[in-house]
Amino acid sequence: MEKLVELHIPNILGSEKTAIEKAVSIAREMGFSNDRVEDLKTAVSEACINAIEHGNKFDINTKVGITLASDEKALEVTIHDEGEGINPEKVPKERTAPNGFPRRRGYGIFLIKNLVNEISFASEPGKGNDVKMIIHLENNVS
Amino acid sequence: MNKDIEVSTSQKNDVAFINIQGDVTAVTGEVIKNAYKNEIVSNSPKILFRFDKDCYINSGGLAFLIDIASEGRKKEQKISAVGLSEHFKKIFHMIGLTRCISLFDTEESALEDF
Repeated sequence: MEKLVELHIPNILGSEKTAIEKAVSIAREMGFSNDRVEDLKTAVSEACINAIEHGNKFDINTKVGITLASDEKALEVTIHDEGEGINPEKVPKERTAPNGFPRRRGYGIFLIKNLVNEISFASEPGKGNDVKMIIHLENNVS
Repeated sequence: MNKDIEVSTSQKNDVAFINIQGDVTAVTGEVIKNAYKNEIVSNSPKILFRFDKDCYINSGGLAFLIDIASEGRKKEQKISAVGLSEHFKKIFHMIGLTRCISLFDTEESALEDF
């Protein structure tokens, strides 16, 4: 993968739009279909929101880093926060609340997993948390 | 007034409409919830969300829609939606929100279903 862009956004809800716009711009240049661009927008959005909310815990003195890299077939987006990281195993797999309704929160990683081709998590004490997502040009998420 | 979203309500016969333009997020969701609390809407047996085709919705915004759907079920209200892009229809299906909010391609078909 060739690194294309690295940017940092304030740890404030809404600032994820900057990351989305950059990712979309690159994806369109690469030839992503409109469907895949929409998938990418949601994935980047949810990963940034998780970083702001759960990683950096709304601390305005922190930042969220976004790195975009690509090859001819895929775009790789890495979202970095300064927190302790999440345990993806602890993300609830059940989407339904006991009353049969969808649960109110906790869809970020669930949506990302369903929209991108690959996702991985890395944490290092004192160095923060990385969520790496790879999204292919063609829509072949199983 | 939240500049990221514009929400208005209206009514025709026994259907209340919630018209949404802009971003549906954790920041703006309260505006939609307040629209739902409007007397005309909260007492209507039928509610139709009219999303603008360019609406952007994230998980924070979905939480507010789930709240409204949950409240609607308690009141035995029927809730439907039109105007969502194919992407957000897919998202609604993914999280199971279509079990409580019916999606339609056109307003006519949504109204007929009521």
